[in-house]
Amino acid sequence: MLARILPTLIIAALLLAAWEGYCHLMGVSPMVLPPPSGVIRALVAHRDAIIPHGVATLTVASIGFALSVSFACLTSVALYFTPWAQRGLMPLFVVSQTVPLIALAPLMILWFGFGLLPKVLLVILVTFFPMLLSLLSAYRQTPGAFVDLLASMGAGRWAIFWRATVPSARAAFLAGLRISATYAIVATIFAEYAGARRGLGIYILSAKNNFRADLVLAAVVISALLTLTLLGAIRLFDRLTAKGPEVRRDA
Amino acid sequence: MLEIRGLTIAAPGRDLVRDLSLCLPGTGITALIGASGCGKTSVLKWLSGILPAGLVARGQIMLDGQAITPPHPALSYQPQSDALFPWLTIMENAILGLEMSGLSRRAARAKVAPLFAPFGLSGCEALFPAQLSGGMRQRAAFLRTIVQDSRFVLLDEPFSALDAVTHMRMQDWLLARLADRPRGVLLVTHDLHEATCLADRILVMAGGPGRIIADIPVTTPRPARSEAALADLRETLKFHLLKDTSP
Repeated sequence: MLARILPTLIIAALLLAAWEGYCHLMGVSPMVLPPPSGVIRALVAHRDAIIPHGVATLTVASIGFALSVSFACLTSVALYFTPWAQRGLMPLFVVSQTVPLIALAPLMILWFGFGLLPKVLLVILVTFFPMLLSLLSAYRQTPGAFVDLLASMGAGRWAIFWRATVPSARAAFLAGLRISATYAIVATIFAEYAGARRGLGIYILSAKNNFRADLVLAAVVISALLTLTLLGAIRLFDRLTAKGPEVRRDA
Repeated sequence: MLEIRGLTIAAPGRDLVRDLSLCLPGTGITALIGASGCGKTSVLKWLSGILPAGLVARGQIMLDGQAITPPHPALSYQPQSDALFPWLTIMENAILGLEMSGLSRRAARAKVAPLFAPFGLSGCEALFPAQLSGGMRQRAAFLRTIVQDSRFVLLDEPFSALDAVTHMRMQDWLLARLADRPRGVLLVTHDLHEATCLADRILVMAGGPGRIIADIPVTTPRPARSEAALADLRETLKFHLLKDTSP
């Protein structure tokens, strides 16, 4: 485990050291670019304020992400069995991804207020499509030999889907989960940035308005930790549900 | 007896197989050989009820004089790859066909469990396919096929992915298993050596469109099937195959 993450830790340490050195050697104002040590100090000093905002962000992101994954799974099954609907809806889903978040987030707040709903909707909008696309693409790549074998045994479409297509899609499903998990945190912060009572987005906006670059970066550190938390949960899910050494390696 | 009558398989604009008829006896191995693309795998897939989309087939399958429609429980199919599901244990893979036929998981396990030893898979029940060698995977795939109690087994180049030594061992092993549990076997292969070593009868297919151009019984008894004893037969097969594919 340590050997696997050691290169990442070394590179990160070198980058942080370079950043720290640059700030001290060049005399950069902490209001413009605080050194990593300053960010950590700010994080520790304001932890009581930042952590509740982080929890609020994680709550919204988790709810939105869970709903999005559920919708994506159900929709993928429905579209898989109705190719005409897939042909009709996919272009609309693609168009939905071209709508800029910067335009949509304030509108969501305007339409649905400052509560949970607009933020969850935004997370769903951002994370749904990558999940759906991963699943549909994986369904199409089910090995033909598996399908042929089951069909020769008299299995119907649903049995083939359940026994071969779904398990074959596992690795792609997990890859989609990981991509969407990172989007979920970003989308939540963006929604909070557009308007919220709690959350890292509104905290960052407030810190920025007070020229506290150290607190902005402290919130960024927390958001990175939240993303890692979600990715860790996905990894745990992967380990708990893996069957067979080959599947585990693929996933 | 299994009989194919007047099979024509058509792709848009051309016939892959035209008016093909053949009979398979209830026991023994019939090899179907031919150059790549002559339609032999299409015939096997049609018999298995898995003809690819885009191909249209006309023809009849008669089982003991009665017309049947594939897929049919009397016919079991083993694809070219072992097609073992990597997320299932060997036991779960082995009972797949039985579960598809409606048998409960418990009953299927009880039926398959005693066969692990004769198939050389003792202790492999809880392993996953990735943990087995190529030969063991093929044995597991064959166990899955044979346990379905079908009367005819359709094999699509079952040993083509194996190394030479494992290939030879698997041929002997297959003959031993079929001696234990006699079945009618249709073996699709392009390997003359495999066809002559295993088959009781060899059907030679020619392409453009696919048809049977020779039906050759293998009269040499199995213990005497040495390279020298089979040389004339292979020359005959080569003659038919090359005659058809000459430019």
